[in-house]
Amino acid sequence: MSDPNQTITRRKFLKTAAAGMAVGLIGVPSFSFSKEEYDLAIISGEPVAATKKALEAIGGISRFVKKGQRVVLKPNMSFARTPDLSATTHPLVVATVAQACVEAGAPQVLVLDHTLHRPELCLERTGIREACKNISGVHVLALQERTFFREVKISKGEVLESVEIVKEILDGHILINMPVAKSHSATGVSLGMKGLMGLVWDRESFHSRFNINQAIADLGAVIRPQLTVLDATRALVSGGPGGPGEVKKPNLIIAGTDPVAVDSYGVSIVPWYGQNFKGRQVEHLLAAYQKGLGKIDIDQLKVFREKV
Amino acid sequence: MRKIIQGLSLLLFSAFFVLATYKLPNWLPADIYLRLDPLLGMNAVFAAREIIGRALWSLVTLGATLAVGRFFCAYVCPMGASIDFLDFLFFRKKKRLGLKTETSLRRTKYFLLVIFLVAALTGLSLAFLMDPMSLLTRFYTFFIYPLALTVINLLLDLLRPLFEALGWVAASHQHYFQSVYYMTAVTLLVFGGIIVLNRLVPRFWCRYLCPLGALLSLISPLGLFKRRVNEDCNECLKCQRNCPMGAISEDPRKTRLPECIQCRTCAKVCPQDAVTFPASFSLGGEYSKVDFSRRGFLYSLAGGVTVGFLAARTPFSLLQSKHQIIRPPGAIPETEFLRTCIRCGECMKSCLTNTLQPSLWESGFSGLWTPKMEPRLAPCEQNCYVCGKVCPTQAIRSLSLEEKTHAKVGTAVLRKEMCLVWAQNKLCLICAEICPYHAIVFRPVEGYRRPVVLASKCNGCGYCEHRCPVQGESAIVVVPNGEIRLRRGSYVQEAKKLQLDFKPHPDDDRFIPNESEFKVGGEKKGEKAPLPAAKPDSQKPKGFL
Repeated sequence: MSDPNQTITRRKFLKTAAAGMAVGLIGVPSFSFSKEEYDLAIISGEPVAATKKALEAIGGISRFVKKGQRVVLKPNMSFARTPDLSATTHPLVVATVAQACVEAGAPQVLVLDHTLHRPELCLERTGIREACKNISGVHVLALQERTFFREVKISKGEVLESVEIVKEILDGHILINMPVAKSHSATGVSLGMKGLMGLVWDRESFHSRFNINQAIADLGAVIRPQLTVLDATRALVSGGPGGPGEVKKPNLIIAGTDPVAVDSYGVSIVPWYGQNFKGRQVEHLLAAYQKGLGKIDIDQLKVFREKV
Repeated sequence: MRKIIQGLSLLLFSAFFVLATYKLPNWLPADIYLRLDPLLGMNAVFAAREIIGRALWSLVTLGATLAVGRFFCAYVCPMGASIDFLDFLFFRKKKRLGLKTETSLRRTKYFLLVIFLVAALTGLSLAFLMDPMSLLTRFYTFFIYPLALTVINLLLDLLRPLFEALGWVAASHQHYFQSVYYMTAVTLLVFGGIIVLNRLVPRFWCRYLCPLGALLSLISPLGLFKRRVNEDCNECLKCQRNCPMGAISEDPRKTRLPECIQCRTCAKVCPQDAVTFPASFSLGGEYSKVDFSRRGFLYSLAGGVTVGFLAARTPFSLLQSKHQIIRPPGAIPETEFLRTCIRCGECMKSCLTNTLQPSLWESGFSGLWTPKMEPRLAPCEQNCYVCGKVCPTQAIRSLSLEEKTHAKVGTAVLRKEMCLVWAQNKLCLICAEICPYHAIVFRPVEGYRRPVVLASKCNGCGYCEHRCPVQGESAIVVVPNGEIRLRRGSYVQEAKKLQLDFKPHPDDDRFIPNESEFKVGGEKKGEKAPLPAAKPDSQKPKGFL
C-alpha cells in the first residue's frame, strides 16, 4: 500500500531518534524540529479514527511516550455531564490515546482530573471510566484530596508565586493534555491552557484572588504538557464551562506540542458566543504568548490537515 | 443459633444502611427495617392522620408477633443485637449492680409507649426519641458512618506508601469523601447511655424503656410458643438468673409472658433440661397480664397530651409559612412534614453531597433531628434523588429525577453589600458559572456586569451559596421563599403553573444575552496590547479582548 503517511512516520521516526540522540549529546532540553514536522495535526473525522491519525501525524505516540515511561492523561471530566453536552472530553478520544500509550510501552497511564462536581458522578457520567475500563494499566481517577497534590514554586510568575499541583506531574510522568473545546464564562474559552487548572488543588483563588487569565499563563510556565490533543469533535460554543449550551460539531482533533498554538487554532475553528475570535483576542492565551509559552499566530504554523 | 440469626440481622441492617447511597436501585428498600417497625408506623400514621403506604409493612411484624410471640426483640431487632454484642464486649465479666424496684421500672416502657402514641394523636411525632430502629439508624448515620470513613481514610493514608511501592494505582489514589454531621456527639451520648445501663442489668433498655418492645409485648402472650417447665425442675433458679429479660418470676415454673422474647436461654442453661417451648394456645394465667397501673396509664395519657401541647407551642409552629430552614426537595408541607418525619437520618446518610444535616432547635422541639439543607456546606446535586427514595414514612416523597428537579426548595438571593462584584467591582462570576440552571445572569449596571438571580429559574439547589468565594457567610444565599411543598400531585405541573422553568435552554447565553447592550464590538487589539486591569469590557464575553 502506498500510504504516504507510513513513509513519513518511518522517516520521522529515524529523524526523531537522531534528534533525540542529538539532544542527548548536546543536552538542550527542547525538541528540534526538522522540515517534515508539523506544529499542528488537524484531523477531521470520527473520534477514534481522527485521534489515531492525529497522533500518527504529530510524530506517533512513541515520540512522546517511551517504553517504561508513566503517563498522565488530563482530559476534562470536571462536570458530571454526558458527552453529548460537550462539557467534557469525548470518552473515545481519551480511550484511544490511553490505548496508544499502553501500546507504546507505558506501564501505567493515569487519566485524572480534579473535578468540580462530585467525583464518582463525573467518572460515571462522562463515560471516560467506562471507555477505559478494559485497557490494562489505565486508571481513571478523580483526585479530591490535598494529599495527592504538592506545592511547586513559580519563579517567573506574574501573579502566582506557587501552586499546588498533582504530584505525578512533578514526579516525571509524561503529561498529555486532552481538553475539550468549550466556551468559558470567565476566560472566554476553555481549551488546553485553561484545562491545566484541573491539575491544581486550589482553583478558587484563581477566580477570587488573582486575575485568572494571568494566573493561567503563570501556571502554563510550570505545567508543560509534552503533547496537547484538543477534542474538538464537538464544541460547546456557549454556556461553558458547565453547559448546557450550544453544541457545534467541528469533528476535529487537533494535536500539537505547543500548548498556545493548539489553543489558538482551537479558538479559530468555531464562532464563540456567536462571534469569531482569534487566539490573540483570548486574554489568557495572549498572556501565555507574551510569557513565551508558544506561538499564537496560526497563519505562521506548519499544519498537517487530513480528513479520515 | 439465636446469636447467628441475630448477628445476621444486624449485618443485614448494616448492609442496607451501606447501600443507601445515590446509586440505590429503585427496587431495593434500603429503609426496610424502619418500615417494619410498627411503632414508627403508628406514630407517623397517627400524627399525619393519613395511611402511609410504606408503614403498612409493619403489619408483617405485628402479624408475626401475634402468631409467634415477641421473637422480634431477640432475633430481628438490630438494636437488641447491638446491645447484646456490646454487653458481651464490655460487661460480660462484670458483676451487675442490679435493681431493687424491678416491677415499677418495667412499667416505664408502657408509660412511654402511651406518651408517644398520645403525642402522635395530638400531631407530634415523638416516638423517634426512643424507637430502637430510628435510634440505631440515627446512631449509624451520625456516628458510625463518619467514624468508619475516618478510620478507612486513615488506614488508606497509612498504607499509601505500600500501595505506591506495589504499584497499586487505584488503591494508592483512593480516598473517601468524609461526611460530617451536626449532633454527632448528642447521638453518641444517647446511644452510649443505653449501653451503659447494661451495667445494672442486661438489656436494661429492652426490659424497662423500649417502647417498641412494650408495643410488641402487649400482643405477645397471644403467640403460639410459650415457655413450659416440667416436673424435672429442681428450682435451682439458674434460668431466672440467666434470663436477659428478667421474664422468669420467683417461681421458676412461671413466665412473665409479655417479657419473654423467646431467646430460649433458660432452656439452654437448665441443668435438668426441664424447659421447653411447645406450641400452645393457652394464655398462661397471672403472668400473662401486662404489668400496668390505672393511675400510671392516666398519668402517661396526660403526659402525652402535655408534650404534644408543649411542642406545638413553640414560636414558629404557629407560623408554619415563616419557618426559615431549607427542607430537602420533595419534603411535604412543613406541618405534615414535622408530623411524618421519624428522624431516622436515612436521608442524611444517603445524601450524595452531605448537604442534609439534622436540625437542632431551628424549628423548635418538634423539629429535632429533622433534615435540613446546608447549602454553604454542600449543594443539592442535580442528578441525585435518593433522599425521598429511602424515606420510610415518605415525609420526603420518593420522586423521579424530573419531579425532584421541579421540587423547588427555595430561591437564591444575592446580598449585594457582600458580593465581590456588586460591592467591590471585582471580577467574579463563580455563582453564574456553577449554576446548573442558568438562573444567574449578568446585566450591565454602572458599567460593570453584575450578577442577578432569575427567581423563576432557580430551584434552590445551593451551588451558588456553596461556591461563593466570599469568606464566611455567602454573598448569595438560598432562602425558603418560593419553595414548592406538595403532599401529593406533580411538582412538574405545579412548577409549570407557577411559570417556573428549571431547564436551561441551549441558546440561553448568560454572557451575551440578546439585549442590545451586549452587542460585541469587532475591533481587534494590537499585538502588544496590555492586559486589561480589573475593569472589564462589558461589551464582550468575559475572557476575550
